[in-house]
Amino acid sequence: MSIEVKNINKTFKSKKTDQLSVLENINLTINDGELICLLGPSGCGKTTLLRLIAGLEQPTSGEIVANGEVVKKPSGDRAVIFQQYSLFPWLTVLQNVTFGLEMTKKGSKAENIAAAERYLTSVGLIDFKDSYPHELSGGMKQRVAIIRSLLNHSPILLMDEPFSAVDMQNRHSLQEQLIGVWKRFENTIVFVTHDVDEAVYLADKIVILDKNPGRIAKIVEVDIERPRKRESPEFIALQESIVQQLNMED
Amino acid sequence: MLENYKNKFIPLILPIVLILIWHGITDGLELFSSYILPSPMDVVNSAWVVIENGKLLTNTIDTLYKVFAGLICASIVAIPAGILLGWYKTLEDLCTFVISVLRPIPPVAWIPFSILWFGIGTFPAVFIIFMGCVFPILVYTIDGVKRTDKVLVESAQTLGANDWNVLKRVVVPSTVPYIVSGLKVGIGIALMCTISAEMIGSSSGLGYMILTATNLFDTGTTVVGMIVIGLIGLAFDFVFSRAQDKIFW
Repeated sequence: MSIEVKNINKTFKSKKTDQLSVLENINLTINDGELICLLGPSGCGKTTLLRLIAGLEQPTSGEIVANGEVVKKPSGDRAVIFQQYSLFPWLTVLQNVTFGLEMTKKGSKAENIAAAERYLTSVGLIDFKDSYPHELSGGMKQRVAIIRSLLNHSPILLMDEPFSAVDMQNRHSLQEQLIGVWKRFENTIVFVTHDVDEAVYLADKIVILDKNPGRIAKIVEVDIERPRKRESPEFIALQESIVQQLNMED
Repeated sequence: MLENYKNKFIPLILPIVLILIWHGITDGLELFSSYILPSPMDVVNSAWVVIENGKLLTNTIDTLYKVFAGLICASIVAIPAGILLGWYKTLEDLCTFVISVLRPIPPVAWIPFSILWFGIGTFPAVFIIFMGCVFPILVYTIDGVKRTDKVLVESAQTLGANDWNVLKRVVVPSTVPYIVSGLKVGIGIALMCTISAEMIGSSSGLGYMILTATNLFDTGTTVVGMIVIGLIGLAFDFVFSRAQDKIFW
């Protein structure tokens, strides 16, 4: 499913100044099955752009078209993995994972549970299916949240710095797993991050955003072959050139 | 090991000391006549009498029955209303003034009307308890709905939940701990209201027992009634604290 971001402007009312422009004149095409990273310093509006695509917020002007339809409100087609933990604390892991399927009435209860168990097995979380979220580590919670969206067959995954609260070792393993999942399910993924390494490791295309107001500074195509090696010269070279680009903005 | 025993015995020290002082100034020094301040032995004797003739049990059951009836009626009204008011801003704006004015009125101020409308007996007491519990439960529920984590609501929406499902599957469960807190506060108020109501417009219950005993200078029984009320409150507190430990995630 492709996404078209057309002439998006977003301003918030703030107390100090009359209006705060967060995003200015954003145009972006995200192709079906692409993995895009939105990269930029804090305050550049990358999360706002993601929320606009999700339909959780409305643009001040311009429009976003996902799969031929203008985005007006949130939908099960565009799942969001939030930076904060977003599992329902009163449901077990299994109940959390099947939540979306119950909402969209996609299958029978038995089918849904079977599918959920299959997915949980594939990420090594099957032993925790009857646990509650507070019994899981941060990385596990985010894996469950991703499984919850995948199981719902959301063609678009919108991820807002989902691994930022996880330690580096686990973050690398989660990134690797995400690439595996993306190849298998062929989702379109928009991944927000402020971590250059993460962006270079994951993305087909890196959209570098500038702040005050948020606008697209540069779009970088990443054509390093997967699986990417962090120690390879091309990886390091690209990382350095992006860091330079970001420093130029400041 | 020794530490553990120490901690368990600490709460018992003060009650024992208080009873000893009480015994000292009544039976020991005989500072007061027994109907002004009955001695611990008087109370034990009175307790034995009301236990044996069954009055304590029937009156306790009667009071508990009213407490639960009032609390259940209040919950039936306040919990759904609180969820709606917390969720629909316009509805809350519409009701907020009326609630703010009715809420500070002490439940016992409704006693005259409760007698005029419902006479003497169980009904007026249940009405008073209802008036006492309905607002705390309502306010706690509204507050709980408003404190629903926005991320959970948005997650549900991006998983395909419609407004009704967001309310039913996200807002309501996340409000449960607040409802339990509201019930805990409500039950304390209910107990107070019941005793007051029974003293004025009733012919049964612990409040009635306390008042009639006092009128007959049987103050030992008065103290028995007071202690039983305290113990009931303690038991409720224990049960609700256990429930909260289980629900609060």
